[in-house]
Amino acid sequence: MIRYMLRRFGHALLLLVGVSLLLFILMEAAPGDFFSEARLSGEISPQTLHALRAQYGLDQPLPVRYLKWVSSAMHGDFGYSVAYNMPASTLLLPRARNTLLLTVPCLLISWLLAVPLGVLAASRRGGWIDRVYSGGTSALLGLHDLLLALLALLFALRTGAFPAGGMASLDVTGGLWVHWKDIGWHMVLPAAVLIVGSLAPILRHVRSTMLDVLDSPYMRAAEGHGINRFTLLFRHALPAAANPLISLFGLSTALLIGGSLLVEVVMSWPGLGPMVLEAILARDMFLVLGAVLLSTLFLIVGNLLADLLLYAFDPRIRTEA
Amino acid sequence: MRLADLSIDYLGSDGEVVSALRKVELEIREGEVLGVLGESGSGKSSLSNAILRLLPPNGRITSGRIEYRGKDLLALSQSELRQVRGAGIALISQEPALALNPVLTIGRQIIDVLRAHRRVSKEQAMEQTRAMLREIGFPDPDRISRAYPHQLSGGQRQRAAIAQALICEPSLLVADEPLSSLDTITQAEILELLQKLKGELNLSMMFITHNAGVLSSLAERVAVIENGQMRACGTLDELSSLDDAYVRGLIFPEKDLGRVLVQPQEPNWSVTEEPFLRLRNVSKHFIQRRIFSRRKFAVQALQAIDFEIREGSTIAVIGRSGSGKTTLARCIAGFETPDSGEVSFAAEVANQSRGVVQLIFQDAGSALNPRFTAADAIAEPLVIARQASPDQRSQRVRQFMEEVGLDPSWASRIVIEFSGGQRQRIAIARALAASPRLLILDESLSGLDLPIQAQILGLLMDLQSRHGLTYLHITHDLNFLSRFADEVIVMDDGRIVERNTPAVLFQSTHPATRSLIEASERLHAPGLEVAQ
Repeated sequence: MIRYMLRRFGHALLLLVGVSLLLFILMEAAPGDFFSEARLSGEISPQTLHALRAQYGLDQPLPVRYLKWVSSAMHGDFGYSVAYNMPASTLLLPRARNTLLLTVPCLLISWLLAVPLGVLAASRRGGWIDRVYSGGTSALLGLHDLLLALLALLFALRTGAFPAGGMASLDVTGGLWVHWKDIGWHMVLPAAVLIVGSLAPILRHVRSTMLDVLDSPYMRAAEGHGINRFTLLFRHALPAAANPLISLFGLSTALLIGGSLLVEVVMSWPGLGPMVLEAILARDMFLVLGAVLLSTLFLIVGNLLADLLLYAFDPRIRTEA
Repeated sequence: MRLADLSIDYLGSDGEVVSALRKVELEIREGEVLGVLGESGSGKSSLSNAILRLLPPNGRITSGRIEYRGKDLLALSQSELRQVRGAGIALISQEPALALNPVLTIGRQIIDVLRAHRRVSKEQAMEQTRAMLREIGFPDPDRISRAYPHQLSGGQRQRAAIAQALICEPSLLVADEPLSSLDTITQAEILELLQKLKGELNLSMMFITHNAGVLSSLAERVAVIENGQMRACGTLDELSSLDDAYVRGLIFPEKDLGRVLVQPQEPNWSVTEEPFLRLRNVSKHFIQRRIFSRRKFAVQALQAIDFEIREGSTIAVIGRSGSGKTTLARCIAGFETPDSGEVSFAAEVANQSRGVVQLIFQDAGSALNPRFTAADAIAEPLVIARQASPDQRSQRVRQFMEEVGLDPSWASRIVIEFSGGQRQRIAIARALAASPRLLILDESLSGLDLPIQAQILGLLMDLQSRHGLTYLHITHDLNFLSRFADEVIVMDDGRIVERNTPAVLFQSTHPATRSLIEASERLHAPGLEVAQ
């Protein structure tokens, strides 16, 4: 078990190095840097620009810059945001916390919704519940996150029932409880958009995996032994379907984080999304790098969690391992 | 239990209605074992599924009644039906590996059946499960009930499935080919167990099989099913005295072999003194290791194997599963490198670049690409060897198909449209296309019905005399051995324990050989092999 975890950790490290290297190369390939626009203004002399570039180390060749960044990252320093004049990590960490605050509950809620619904649809194959389900998920798949977010904003504006963006009201005062209630209130719409946006693929997978299991000879055998339907579905079929579903769980974290970056921008949730967008437009190298690495880290943690769950749920994997 | 006028249709994917059973009439009396004998595809399995109304969604019972103790099962509501399932009538199926849920322990699966029918506390349920497992022949029921199906052997799984079926003391057991996926010795053990249980529990049984030999010691009456229709019904003796070629073919499949058997011809290839293949002191072990612990298990698969094969001969390798037969085949075919020792072919064979050794596997269904047509599959070795133009290739494919007894006009059919026996013929044609010298038949016949086995063996013998092929026939059952093999090697625990001609071997006193022979005798119609 410990050796397995160590190996997974090694893989994760390799992945982070790969992603950072790729980002360095891609950012280099894109034209210009943070000071490109300043050059156009004419008020700043080329000498000053040159000096600024040298000060931030932007005049050095790519491999040197990468190695320098790696060596400082090893000491916990993930670079410096040129735009904010602050260390990238100081900027990113609260943002990352906000992104997690939004995505983790969404992940849990979508799975808690999808599993019983999927089991229900699979157990009524071909019936009207199943047909509504299949039609509904198809429709959901066709809806883009962006459209959903805009609809939610429209709803908030028209009804005024929910705040139309942000994470907290400025005028709320009171204790911790009031503060959290306010945040929760702000979360409702972005969370709803994220859940609705990420639910469809999960729903479809739960249904089709359950159908595969229900068609299997051992389910027919169990049915032949007269075991009742509820036990069959939830105690026999669902554990057998867990393996592919847990793998999907790992993947769904990726989908959700991807979706969340977009939704955060549209609904002005102060997570990583708006900051990454801003940093990319400003070519604020280390901020982009830090944000992408953090997202990668979330993914890795999600998949690691999925692996641990698999280990816990599937006896076959325990024996193989 | 009485089936009256039972007909079942399947709706094919192309909207075509296929009739699986037509107007079947059967009766099983209290405490009686009824054998249902038929080839694969005859509708036997539809019969067993229909009894508990477990037909797949595209199957439909179009007419008839299924009466169990006076009640028509077809008229029962779902909840009444559930009470009959498992408690009144229980089912054990062909493939115990597939009939048990892979992620639940054996104990859980048995207890769930018990608690579906009886109000018992957890402790009582555990106690009854343990008692059942002990009854079924597990000396340590606690370990088995905590085990998951993949941790058990095939025979243990079938025992567990039987325990699951019998835990609620049903009065009728429907057994659908319960032996066909097990090796001979295990088959004999399970058969013995079923006989014992029948006596102890006054169990009625419907035993579905393609092997008449099994029924001779178990069934009071036998019903023969052909193409969904009842062909005959009666005791095995009555049936074998019937003047009906189909029934006799099922009961005495070896007669079939006699018919297709070509008379031994003068060999038209040179018998060289140099052995065709020689194994010297070949050993192979595997290390199994667990990632999460440091324990390692060394499995000694082959230990100092020494033998040689003459060109044009047939050597059978027999032994129970796990005796190292397949590792031996893989070493000869070059899939595995032996730890020590040497596998060498005669010099002139070693010069032939490729295709010298061809394997034919047990399950032709999975050994052939399901998306290929028969022609694609057979032409593949030619394509790989970059031999022949496309025109010549299709010419050769037709030739090979004719040679293995397939209609060449079927060349463009997809592999999955062929039956099991036909697929095995395609696999043989594919092997022939590589112009091999040695064919390794790795349990190539085990998945097939006995009459089909006889036909394929006849084909193989025919091909041998025409092409001068050498066969290494690996098998766990001794069907037709004396008609087919020049020599038999008995393996046990990775060693060769005996090597002899079949006739001498059947008199052997070595325990490993004896147990194989006895198991095989128990499973086959009396006199089938011994009389040779």
